[in-house]
Amino acid sequence: MTPTTAPVRAPTYRSRFATAVFDVLNPVPYGLFVGTLIFDILYAITRNVFWGKGAAWLVTTGLLFAIIPRVINLCHVWIPSRYPVTSLERLDFWLNLFGIVAAIVNAFVHSRDAYAMVPLNVVLSTITVALLSIAQIVHALDKFALREVPREQVQ
Amino acid sequence: MNRSSKHNTHAWVSVVALALAAALGGCNDHAKYDAAHQAGANPPLPDARNFFTPPMQVPKYVGWRNGEAPKVANGLKVEKIASGLVHPRQVYALPNGDVLVAESNSPNEEPVTTPKQLIAGLIEGRSGKKAKGANRITLLRKRGDGSGEWDRFVFIDHLHSPFGMQLVGDTLYVADTDAILKFPYQTGETHISARGVELTDLPDTINHHWTKSLLASPDGKKLYVGVGSNSNVGENGLDVEYRRANVLEVDIATGGSRIYAAGIRNPTGLQWEPKTGQLWAVANERDEIGADLVPDYLTSVKEGAFYGWPYSYYGQHVDRRAQPQRPDLVAKAIPPDYAIGSHVAPLGLLFYTGNNLPAQYRGGAFIGEHGSWDRSPLSGYVVAYVPFENGKPAGAPQPVVTGFVSDDQKQIYGAPVGLAQGQDGALLIADDVGNAVWRVTKAGD
Repeated sequence: MTPTTAPVRAPTYRSRFATAVFDVLNPVPYGLFVGTLIFDILYAITRNVFWGKGAAWLVTTGLLFAIIPRVINLCHVWIPSRYPVTSLERLDFWLNLFGIVAAIVNAFVHSRDAYAMVPLNVVLSTITVALLSIAQIVHALDKFALREVPREQVQ
Repeated sequence: MNRSSKHNTHAWVSVVALALAAALGGCNDHAKYDAAHQAGANPPLPDARNFFTPPMQVPKYVGWRNGEAPKVANGLKVEKIASGLVHPRQVYALPNGDVLVAESNSPNEEPVTTPKQLIAGLIEGRSGKKAKGANRITLLRKRGDGSGEWDRFVFIDHLHSPFGMQLVGDTLYVADTDAILKFPYQTGETHISARGVELTDLPDTINHHWTKSLLASPDGKKLYVGVGSNSNVGENGLDVEYRRANVLEVDIATGGSRIYAAGIRNPTGLQWEPKTGQLWAVANERDEIGADLVPDYLTSVKEGAFYGWPYSYYGQHVDRRAQPQRPDLVAKAIPPDYAIGSHVAPLGLLFYTGNNLPAQYRGGAFIGEHGSWDRSPLSGYVVAYVPFENGKPAGAPQPVVTGFVSDDQKQIYGAPVGLAQGQDGALLIADDVGNAVWRVTKAGD
């Protein structure tokens, strides 16, 4: 038999189900946090409480939607398996973690009455959106990363 | 993952955990002042702070067990004249010695518009302060047989969160949360079945602060109405604050009304100071900028005056939470007369003019302090007495009726609200958590 020179195609994730759930839910908090930032800026400018209250719901809902994809990502990145994890995936994990921590603090900041949330709400929303945006880019780059493909025949 | 990166991971996790704990734990805010330290015309006002979580300390409701009662100062005694009421919020003494009790609480019409309201409502509910009211006025009448027992009658039913009650001639005015109603009253009757006739409507959107206190002018021509704000500090928008945080003056003949004084966040007790005939009020000031901010107060209510809410407190201390700011109004704001401590939540006011209680309690004001929910340690939960001289407060509030919370501040038995002076000179106290009415007289009476 002639040895093949083509790259070996192999799955890099352990669960189709978890991967699908992750891909469905993961964009939701990102979008909601971007909405939070927009509302926060509008509240800071207009001083109309509608925007501040809207932002409070957006950041809280974003956090609720983030729970499941973050748990899936945590397991994917840190529970050892025969599927290798790239360093970019680890970076993506940390960026998301810090983005979520900023959003959690931000949810508390949004519980303040009226303009007491400004300007910290804008600062924290910007941090969350920036970290999650970088994470998206890292995620994109990771698609081109070389993987150590498991070679079961060697074992 | 090799060993060193595993190590790094642990380090990172600890850093994150610590940062989070610091961010959230930074909101611990223990009060520096008690009510006596923050009493007077010029109370110390620390700098305003912001919090990550609103500091909350709410004792758990247990109620009064059999035979338990509040404690009273030396020379006084206390008795329970009604129990098992449904959130008694205000008391009012009729000329014939009967006592009216408004069993009432918030109409719960405030929509949930922030995630915080969902959570805060659950925590505050622990204390029993959020229990439903009966929306009725009950009449208590002392039996003539010398037994000391009081009979109870349903006086007016099917009201809408009633609070203020005033008898002018043969007309009883009742301030529901949304309107002032007129009822015909004949001395001695124990039930009014006539439907109330509306004298005038009152601001009734949201009803964040729902009580409408009521006081008639001595000549019986005007009614003064304390209308609380629709928010802590304008967070529901300033358009819903129209005619809110005001004392309104209503003309009894026409029902027409005007703003008598403005910028008083929640003026709950309105009374005439007996020496000068001046209108006075107790008011609940704003929350969530510190355990020692902003002190609640007792003040004369000057016609046409602006007392700051929401733009400033105690004169020109600007509250930047209320936006857009109004420097023009802040410049006009006058400070209230007398601070009585932060977050004590004064809801009842009574200038004592009777002669049953010992001399030291005559001429000054009793204040029913419903007690704090956003402060540690707790404050309020007492009926306090502020002595007056020449129509002005002349000394810090002294606790007179206490023991509404356990010594460790974990449990709550009751909370004083509205006050009235019985025709016999007794001090009457509505207790809307203990669901009782207490009567305080001189010891050995």
